[in-house]
Amino acid sequence: MSPNTEVWQGTLALMVLKTLETMGPMHGYGIARRIEQTSGNRLIVNYGTLYPALLKLEQEGHIASAWGESENRRRAKFYRLTRAGRRQIAREAADWETATAIVARFLSPRPQKEPS
Amino acid sequence: MRAVRAWLIRLATTLRPGRRERELTDELESHLQLHIDDCIRRGMSPEEARREARLRLGGLAQAQEDMRARSRLPALESIAADVRFGARLLRKSPGFSAVAILTLALGIGANVAIFSVIDAVLLAPLPYPDPDELVLVGEGDDPDRVTTTSYATWVDWRARSRSFQELALFRDWSPTLTGGDRAEQLSGARVSAGFFRAVGVTPALGRDFRPEEDAPDTRRVAILGHELWRRRFGADPAIVGRTIALNETTYTVIGVLPASFDPLMIEATLGPRSADVWSPVGYDAAQPWACRSCRHLHVLGRLRADASPATARAELETLTAAMWREHPTDYADAGVSVVPLARQLVGPVRAMLVVLLGAVGCVLLIACVNLANLLLARATNRRREVAVRVALGAGRGRVLRQLLVENCLLALLGAAAGLVPAALLPQVLAAFGPRIPRLAEARLDVPVLLFALGLALATGLLSGLAPALRLTRADLHDTLRDGARSSAGAAAGRMRGALVVAEVALSLTLLVGAGLMVRSLARLLDVPPGFDPRGVLTLNAAVVGPRYEDDAVVRRHFDEVAARVRALPGVEAAAVASQIPLGGNFDGYGVHPEGRLAANPAQDPSAQRFSVSPGYIAAMRIPLVRGRDLAATDDGGAPPVLLVSQTTAERVWPGEDPLGKRVKIGGTDGPWWTVVGVVGDVRHMRLDQPPAMAMYVPYAQFPNVDSQMILAVRTHGPPLELAAAVEGAVRSVDASQPVSRAVALEGFVARSVAGRRVSLAMLAAFAVVALLLCAIGIYGVTSYAVAQRTRELGIRLALGARPGQLLLAQLRQGLALALAGIAAGVAAALGLTRFLGSLLYGVSATDPATFAGVALLLAAVALAASYLPARRVTRVDPTQALRAE
Repeated sequence: MSPNTEVWQGTLALMVLKTLETMGPMHGYGIARRIEQTSGNRLIVNYGTLYPALLKLEQEGHIASAWGESENRRRAKFYRLTRAGRRQIAREAADWETATAIVARFLSPRPQKEPS
Repeated sequence: MRAVRAWLIRLATTLRPGRRERELTDELESHLQLHIDDCIRRGMSPEEARREARLRLGGLAQAQEDMRARSRLPALESIAADVRFGARLLRKSPGFSAVAILTLALGIGANVAIFSVIDAVLLAPLPYPDPDELVLVGEGDDPDRVTTTSYATWVDWRARSRSFQELALFRDWSPTLTGGDRAEQLSGARVSAGFFRAVGVTPALGRDFRPEEDAPDTRRVAILGHELWRRRFGADPAIVGRTIALNETTYTVIGVLPASFDPLMIEATLGPRSADVWSPVGYDAAQPWACRSCRHLHVLGRLRADASPATARAELETLTAAMWREHPTDYADAGVSVVPLARQLVGPVRAMLVVLLGAVGCVLLIACVNLANLLLARATNRRREVAVRVALGAGRGRVLRQLLVENCLLALLGAAAGLVPAALLPQVLAAFGPRIPRLAEARLDVPVLLFALGLALATGLLSGLAPALRLTRADLHDTLRDGARSSAGAAAGRMRGALVVAEVALSLTLLVGAGLMVRSLARLLDVPPGFDPRGVLTLNAAVVGPRYEDDAVVRRHFDEVAARVRALPGVEAAAVASQIPLGGNFDGYGVHPEGRLAANPAQDPSAQRFSVSPGYIAAMRIPLVRGRDLAATDDGGAPPVLLVSQTTAERVWPGEDPLGKRVKIGGTDGPWWTVVGVVGDVRHMRLDQPPAMAMYVPYAQFPNVDSQMILAVRTHGPPLELAAAVEGAVRSVDASQPVSRAVALEGFVARSVAGRRVSLAMLAAFAVVALLLCAIGIYGVTSYAVAQRTRELGIRLALGARPGQLLLAQLRQGLALALAGIAAGVAAALGLTRFLGSLLYGVSATDPATFAGVALLLAAVALAASYLPARRVTRVDPTQALRAE
């Protein structure tokens, strides 16, 4: 994969949820940085699209937010995973695995047995 | 579900953005701060850090806009803005708005009104479980006409048929309820034990009839209708088990029907009346009236789920054919009719409602065309506004949407105003119109309101689309550069011309329809009914009870009634008859002429039989054509005689002298009856149906006397003024016997054409509205054209044109449009008027006189509507016109 790819359409939500699951409550900037770090800095999060995505997840009830103070004493909005969000991770992860498995079949087709 | 939650939150934020708005900005600023801190920690200068942070966010304003879009519902917001803008514009031109809203209120209101009636009468399912399974069954070769059958046939059908869950009998029953302060004649029905099971209704109090109660000696049980129970018995919950006196016989009340039960099958077969009291038919095969040719019973069937009316009819016809072979003289053929109850109920009014729906559809189309015309006129003034908005970056779609939203707003306001007439129509129809089954259920309910909403939006889009498209297509540069007058005006003029043509064509179609119906009604009112209804009072007089079981007593009673009424001052003549014209019923009897008896008497012709007292023919002024009238001397001791109508004489003895001929009546067992006179034909059932065969027999000679007779009294003054005196005279003979329904016979005639009159009045009203809208449209187009051409006209005048010439040219233009519209309208009307079908009488659907008259009328209206504004041409002052721009 070429270095510095933008996050693919549709996967940002799953990454945000998974990050919150591993790291606990975080603010938007923290989530973005964490996603980039997790990808070994091969992904670039477009910060402009991150916030509408967070808003959507919050409207759907997968995450909740509250204002708090950052590690270097800045006011920031912190997001945490809700119970619905946890269930959503399981669902989306399963979907994602199915999708990648299907793509993988196309990339390395196994010889199929001739029908008898 | 999650999506709904998100949508609701966005909706809430759209409505109350305040706090959320600030939070979005705060969060983005906090993000920038965190990012800058991070960059500085990694060794950037503050300026570099700030630049980097803003760059990665993709611009603060853009990010804010993206978040705002996600936090609210932008589509809804901009529509709301369009609505606010539209409302402001409508308020700014109140004249235009009022005309447009009124036009639409007429168009939409008429449609919603008719739809609400159609929804209740034609579309709503009948108020019974699985109403599609209910059918009316009878003998007869016309599969679509509801007929009756006999008890013996019903017994065989019921035993042998596999198509029905239940086949139930019912017949007319009008018992007299005594025991209160006065005798009251009820309307009710006698039914077989399975009737209510077939309908799918169970009594609210008490129980249903049991099969063993449906027999001659056990049938003294009654089920009351809810209304009668409330009115006469004070809704007494202990009524079950009590006894009541019907026809001076004791009946035990075993049940009360629920209030929701509406006996529509009675109305569908026996005419416009309800049924308040029910009792078993209680026949058995031994009774004379249970005979195979005694066809006076109606049958209601509930089909099995796997049967259809067609398959049921096929099965019954096979069964009847077998019965015909067993009893060859009791059937004329093996025909059976199976008619869905719903169709029978609404059949007569369906045509009228469908025609009216077509008419209001036309009115709405004309209203749309008119509105489109108004909008086009206004569009010219708004070209600049639209051009400026496009120049400022509004997309064409966005502008188009704004214009359409504005229009839909107009249409919605129009629809709201139109709900007022729509709410009133059912009441107006109920008060003045013909009896329409289930009309009372017509109201502005959810489906009707949805219809109104849909219609309003469709109207808004339909009338607004063309003008809006034109407006947004206008050339931006031209418009901005030289203001109004440019080549675009010519195209708009052509479009407006086309609209006028459409409008004239639609109006013509409607007017032709209304004109044909006016001529039908005129023809119908010209039809001689065969008797003179003016100045005749009629009353129902019945005799009931054990004292009147002897026919001789009954005859003496009615003789005395007629004599006492005749003696009243102000009475010219009085007589009794078993049925009177337009009263809604008759008795048919076979006519078997001497020397020509058919092998199967069931195949002989049947005639309406009227059992009358002497003097009836004279009292009704039915003309005596030949021979003599019935006389008091034609009594039980004299040889039987009768009068026949002209139609009867011509059909039974074509080319022969009917006087002195002899017939047997209702079977070949009875005595010979001698024809002593021929009387004129009477339209007995309806004015618009040709007279049927009729015969008049003296009730003193007819073997069985009807226990209910109609008293016909010819008075010198207004008939109803004598009603009380006549009722008193009847009661003076026997006060315990009921007298009811004193009405002027002329009222029957009026009622028999009421349906036509009302549908005609409505169609005419719609046609007048259409004509008015059309005149307004032509006026508008002409006056606009004149205004547009002021400058050109000024030049022409300055160059020496005479004002008269210009006026003529202008008129010619208006008339050309009208003529094109008339031509198109005539073509459309020729195709459409045949759908009026049964609503027409004595006039062809393509009646040339009506078409010509309507075309002339429209041409005259068009000329007048264009003359008024065109006159202004002559008043143009050349110097002023040239200076104007």
